[in-house]
Amino acid sequence: MKLRWGLVKQQAAVQFRVLTLDWVTLGLFVLQPATFSAVGMLLAHAAGNATPNLVYSVIGGGIMGMWSQLVFTSTFDITSDRRNGVLEVIVGSPTSLVDIEALRTLNNVLMGLVSLLLAFIAAMSIFGYTLNGINFWGAGISLLLLLLGLWSMGVFLANFLAWSRISGVFVDYLEMPIAFLCGFMYPIRILPHWIQIIAGFLPIRWALEGMNESLLGNHDLNFLLIHWAFSIGLSVAFILVTRWLQARVQDSIRLSGELSSI
Amino acid sequence: MNSFAIEADALNKTFRSKTGLWRTKSKSTVAVEEISFSVERGELFGLLGPNGAGKTTTVKMLTTLLLPTGGTARILGQDVVRETGEVRKHIGFAFSGSRGLYNRLTAVQNLRYFAELYALDPVVTRKRIPELLELVGLQGRGDDKVETFSSGMTQRLHLARALLHDPEVLFLDEPTVGIDPVGSRELRTTVRSLLALGKTILLTTHYMAEAEELCQRIAIVKKGRIVALDTPDALKRRISGDSVIEATVQTANSGALLDCLHVLDSRTKIEFKNNSEPEKLCIHTPEPARVMELLSPYLNPQYVLGLEVRNQTLEDVYVAIIQGEQE
Repeated sequence: MKLRWGLVKQQAAVQFRVLTLDWVTLGLFVLQPATFSAVGMLLAHAAGNATPNLVYSVIGGGIMGMWSQLVFTSTFDITSDRRNGVLEVIVGSPTSLVDIEALRTLNNVLMGLVSLLLAFIAAMSIFGYTLNGINFWGAGISLLLLLLGLWSMGVFLANFLAWSRISGVFVDYLEMPIAFLCGFMYPIRILPHWIQIIAGFLPIRWALEGMNESLLGNHDLNFLLIHWAFSIGLSVAFILVTRWLQARVQDSIRLSGELSSI
Repeated sequence: MNSFAIEADALNKTFRSKTGLWRTKSKSTVAVEEISFSVERGELFGLLGPNGAGKTTTVKMLTTLLLPTGGTARILGQDVVRETGEVRKHIGFAFSGSRGLYNRLTAVQNLRYFAELYALDPVVTRKRIPELLELVGLQGRGDDKVETFSSGMTQRLHLARALLHDPEVLFLDEPTVGIDPVGSRELRTTVRSLLALGKTILLTTHYMAEAEELCQRIAIVKKGRIVALDTPDALKRRISGDSVIEATVQTANSGALLDCLHVLDSRTKIEFKNNSEPEKLCIHTPEPARVMELLSPYLNPQYVLGLEVRNQTLEDVYVAIIQGEQE
């Protein structure tokens, strides 16, 4: 991809303008993570914990919100572009659709950070979560890798979404199972071993565990390095698979005529 | 240098779909079959045909949005399948209706975004957007959201979008559909000015008057095939050098008029449009003077309420070709 600053800026401007047109869309950034966090805390109480685990219940809710928004906005972007005929205009231009999807997903991931930030603020201001003892570097690097993992999976899904008019339904199917597999709101080690093996193929599972453990004060560098290596490797694998699929998907949609909604 | 801007050689497009949940059935729909034509650089070429004839599918193959299932097509000498990227740099396209723009953004915001897709220099973009808005008659409306635009304004913005990168070849798919007569006339004026700038234009339309007024050559498409291709004048001559006499007649006495015309040979075609009251008698004839002579005793309000003698229009030709194909 030839990165052009003008395109990066314009893509971000279009998405930001569309997203901030009304309070309902904007509210998604607050309401969704708030709902997930509330459910997390209620479940923690029901399980007999007097105080909820802030990392998994509150911040986990924020990450859950990030993931949901990524799936939602990616689906919305491609579906509305197909319906509005913009997808044809993009594909018919010299800029590759995958480049546009990559930028869009990056913007969606970065906008999702708002959810995580709000969850952090809520954890600190409402529930008294402190930053004492946390592994700042570990959490910071893990967060960057989490963003990379989300981006690589988002680009993969966006490519899949472009492939067919009904692929949005399949992506909707994936939203909750992936959240379940990656342990957004609970330690992944509580899941059955075979589920952990499946989850092992997802880059965000490794980055997320690294981040959660760092927030809980884990300073074990070996533990973190292994998690980071898996996260980077799998993210790169997702990107390579997306690149490999790209030409096939583009040929497929141009053969089937599924670029337009009619 | 190749003198052709657009070349289509035996283009085919078949869509395959599946139906049913359990016992799935495959269905093939032939949208375009063996379409061949070429368009000279600087020419305005028209594709005419009824709904579902394959015009839009042909345009989408030529604009790289659909892959042909057979045949080849070249734009400015470059293959639309193998040299897609190069083709896309040199073409612009605008499809009918309000699709193809971000309706919740302003006209300028839309144009800025689409200019980036064509990697236009920001300085060029800043200069070009007001010029294009003026060209399509949208000056002063650049900061208005597209959702507030009328169909005609949206269509003109589509045209501005298609012209952003100053393409050599322009594809306009039914650009005046849903636009009022004044708007259509303005759009036709813009198309003519683009032609004067040396652009090659492929236009699809349902409107015969529009095609006759604008196009240097026309291909009539029916069920995915080209059934006629020539200049508008040659097409009219091809059907015949006939004149058309349209008479509005008293229904009760129309039989007498038909009787008097029986002496004419088979070159004269008489058609009754009896779905209206009073009835319309349409006579396509190579000898209008003879027909007028035969009708002259009946040219009074008891038989004939109105009479018009005219040359064949492209619409007559189109109807004759399409109906002839059906027969």
